[in-house]
Amino acid sequence: MDSSLAAEETAPAGAAHYLLCWLALALLTGLTFGLSMVELGRWSLVLALAIALSKGTLVVLFFMHLRDHRGTSRLVLVISVMFVLLLSSLVVADVLTRFPPALPPR
Amino acid sequence: MDADPRLAHHFSTPAVQAHAARLGMWLFLGTEVLLFGGLFVGYAMYRTLYPAAFVACSHHLDRALGTVDTLILITSSLTAAMALHLARGGRARLAAAALGATLALGLAFLAVHGHEYARDIAAGALPGRLYHAEVHLPGAGLFYTLYFFMTGLHSLHVVVGLGLLGWLALRTARGEFSDGWDTPLELGGLYWHLIDLIWIFLYPLLYLI
Repeated sequence: MDSSLAAEETAPAGAAHYLLCWLALALLTGLTFGLSMVELGRWSLVLALAIALSKGTLVVLFFMHLRDHRGTSRLVLVISVMFVLLLSSLVVADVLTRFPPALPPR
Repeated sequence: MDADPRLAHHFSTPAVQAHAARLGMWLFLGTEVLLFGGLFVGYAMYRTLYPAAFVACSHHLDRALGTVDTLILITSSLTAAMALHLARGGRARLAAAALGATLALGLAFLAVHGHEYARDIAAGALPGRLYHAEVHLPGAGLFYTLYFFMTGLHSLHVVVGLGLLGWLALRTARGEFSDGWDTPLELGGLYWHLIDLIWIFLYPLLYLI
């Protein structure tokens, strides 16, 4: 096997990792469902997205094997997510800073 | 050198070929993230413009069923990951059974979602100008446009994933992936996990907030 490729791999995730990952995902789903019943104002959006981000990270690292495979595969995902974040933050910044009559009627 | 028929001549070793296939799959998944990303950006824009309508409409979706959808999909991701793990351990029949479980869970997801759609349509919660449900705020129709488009595109991916995993389950049951060559199974699994990943973000945005 090519040595540069061999250096990229760590010990692959096992069945125990997958089960623990699933358990953590189920618990986080329960947590975010429970939090949605509580009135938290604007924090509910922040908390729900933070929980979704941690769940997404677990899926990507364990189920999608990015924990085991380093390098370019990780880069592809990180860059595409960055583009989505960049585009949505700029669009929201545009809407929030518009001259009010330029907004659609509400 | 007696070449492995599955190794294309422009790759030096099977490991290099698998690495290239994996990178190609991740590039495709990157385009999928951008495809859904456009809808997430649309959601961010209209939620900023019509926060009251989005919160009110979100409360009309069935939050408990959305949570059931989430639990079904994360469990299906577990069985898909276990299928690859079992196939690598040489247990082809168990791996095929795990893929069968993934298929059953995927179908259950579509059934639950179909039930939700029927309920929304009966309530008049339709996209755009067809909207005639209880929430009378500007932007309510837009919420349902985004809801149907995002969940519809996601469900379409579930249907494609079901076809893909069904085909992989048959090949796994025939023992095609038990001799150290399991790239199709790994990449098919990645596609299914991406479906799970997208839903993990759709669930809080549509149902919870």
